[in-house]
Amino acid sequence: MLKRLAFVAVVVMVSFMAVACATQKAPAEAAITAAETALNAAKGEAVKFVPDQVKGVEDALAAAKDSFAKGDYQAALTAAQALPAQVSALTAAATAKKDELTKSWTSLSEGLPKVVEAIQNRVNMLAKAKKLPATIDKAKFASAQDGLKTITQTWAEATTAFGAGNLQDAVAKAEIVKTRAAEVLGFLGMPVPAGLQ
Amino acid sequence: MADEPKPADAFDTTQWHDVVPGDTLSKIAEKYYGDPALYPQIFEANRDVLENPNLMEDAC
Repeated sequence: MLKRLAFVAVVVMVSFMAVACATQKAPAEAAITAAETALNAAKGEAVKFVPDQVKGVEDALAAAKDSFAKGDYQAALTAAQALPAQVSALTAAATAKKDELTKSWTSLSEGLPKVVEAIQNRVNMLAKAKKLPATIDKAKFASAQDGLKTITQTWAEATTAFGAGNLQDAVAKAEIVKTRAAEVLGFLGMPVPAGLQ
Repeated sequence: MADEPKPADAFDTTQWHDVVPGDTLSKIAEKYYGDPALYPQIFEANRDVLENPNLMEDAC
């Protein structure tokens, strides 16, 4: 009699557990779907600015799906319910990074063309001069001319990247121009403005 | 030459020279450009304070 009762109890407990698990299946599935939809909506823009963070959220979503596939609906639900907050953080981080890059680009795109023009004018003038100033030897002037070519080319690439919507690449190239321009100004004996330092 | 500008443009590459007695535009042009004949470039950049390239002392 006791054995039968124990058996019934075990059967009842297993049944409860099975029912409990099954009741988590639909919420887990819905949570995963919602999280995936939110991630897909945010991903397009976010992947340009915070790719590592996007990868982290994708991995978390994959883990939730994996738990679901293995029948661990509670784990899947818990993991999926944490995803919306991660997607929100992702969106905020991407927006912050975009704002930072936009600010950098605005400043550099306003200032660098003037610097490049000043360098071009000085190189043109020194090329016309009968001799170089005492503070500039031929090697320095040749370095300045080479630097000017690099600057002009890289700046063209930066503006092309910006035009194509690749803000990150545009700013990276503008930073190269900024560094190179400071070097060239040094070769030419010209003052390096605060914006290049 | 002209008064130095207020610090406004972080990308301003204007080069300033403190004029001393005996300076001429030709000497300054030679110092910075290597060629005294390029003095008109400096004169043009300082037209707000120089009326005559041969009379720089008037602006000092």
